[in-house]
Amino acid sequence: MADYSIWVLEYSYVPKYHKSGVLYGAHNEGYVKLPYCYVVIKGRDHVAMVDVGYNDKDYGKTLGDRFGVENWRDPKTVLTEVGVTPEEVDTCFITHAHFDHFGNVEDFPNTKFYIQEREISKWVWAMSLPDRMRWMMIAVDPGDIVRGVDLARDRRLVTVDGAVENVLPGIDLHAAPDSHTWGSMWVTVRNDGKSPSEDTWVLAGDLVYQFDNITNDGAVVDVEQMYTPVGLAVGSQTNLILATEEMMSQVGYEARRVIPIHEERLNDTFPSRISKDGLRITEICLADGESSKVS
Amino acid sequence: MTDQTHLLIRLAQSHKPDCVLSFGGPLPKNVASPDELAVTLGSDGVARYAAACRPVYEDLRRIIGQISGLIILAQLTAQHQVTDLPEYAACEARAKQAGDRLGALKTPGGTEPHKAQLEAALRFSHLALRTFSHARGGEAFAADLDQAGLLVKRAYAHLRAASAAKAGLEMVDLSQACCCCGQQPSR
Repeated sequence: MADYSIWVLEYSYVPKYHKSGVLYGAHNEGYVKLPYCYVVIKGRDHVAMVDVGYNDKDYGKTLGDRFGVENWRDPKTVLTEVGVTPEEVDTCFITHAHFDHFGNVEDFPNTKFYIQEREISKWVWAMSLPDRMRWMMIAVDPGDIVRGVDLARDRRLVTVDGAVENVLPGIDLHAAPDSHTWGSMWVTVRNDGKSPSEDTWVLAGDLVYQFDNITNDGAVVDVEQMYTPVGLAVGSQTNLILATEEMMSQVGYEARRVIPIHEERLNDTFPSRISKDGLRITEICLADGESSKVS
Repeated sequence: MTDQTHLLIRLAQSHKPDCVLSFGGPLPKNVASPDELAVTLGSDGVARYAAACRPVYEDLRRIIGQISGLIILAQLTAQHQVTDLPEYAACEARAKQAGDRLGALKTPGGTEPHKAQLEAALRFSHLALRTFSHARGGEAFAADLDQAGLLVKRAYAHLRAASAAKAGLEMVDLSQACCCCGQQPSR
């Protein structure tokens, strides 16, 4: 029995991303393809998402010209691949406030957004610091905070403090403070509705970019595999490792159940297809009665 | 909202629709950026103007982000004491700094419309700050926050209109973000 279907939907990608950004310390090890994705969770009379991507109107040209980001498609186009419209999305969990995760709220007019309160308050603090500490503001768009004002006014922005159980039935939020960002969080789906669950999926946000962050070669310490954090943390890599351990413990240390959204190789593990726009749709699991969107 | 704040907003709104400081007018469109002007005018003055713009632009994006974040905190908590936070004081200090820097900014020929957008962004930021700082509890609190939100939105629109990637006037620092890529930015 499964309550929710989960799909990872690619909305853009970078063909050539430096590997050291993905994997801490992987300097001079070349490049990897980096897909940009968000997640759709459908079931129990809800359509929820994890993150909403970025707004190409504002950044498309810069990202394309300077950083080689390609093939951005709007949520309407991307979501239709799994039979959903942006208007149907009632809930969204913002894993963190980087512009490529929180940057397109305007395309979801009926959605209530959940974010860690620390993610807002600490960015406000970081913006108040002297210019010499500007690094701490990377990848945050003041425009997203401006748009957050409208969401808060309309009671569509919900800030949470730490973990929240059953934010939707069987779906929990977990905080990873001072890690990738000040108030990053991940989403845990207990797909049998039970606690503890035997069918748990973790949507990791940017706490894990790719499988290598969980299953990197551990020969150096004579173990089969070891965690290696992502390359970027405004908090600490230690906190990333601790969050990874907690995520892994939630899924019984079955690494495939921690879903990294920047992972190009998701299609090696889960059924997937490429849309007519050249973007990948990956089916993590299907709710009872739901038809496959990739076969 | 105090009478003085009302007066400020009224004055801002009484500008003609084609004035850059008109609150009720259409949203601003991008103006010629320093890097575009440098191609057509080719002067060292434009290059100096672009370099001098950067700290002003940085001030403004911080101010806009901070006011917005503080408004959100006030909306969520329904507490006007948010303006007692050190972050609010830092925001006011930065707004003053931006005003000083903007006042000293020299405009070579052709750059006036660009500077006008920066001035408008600062003007609406000041209005948002004052509206926010005068907001007190009670029935008018939500309306005051709404008004401050509209003003900061307007400030953001003007700053966006003055953005120019090649001149280093960018809303988001993408250089080390999870979203940036293997290519190095060309400056």
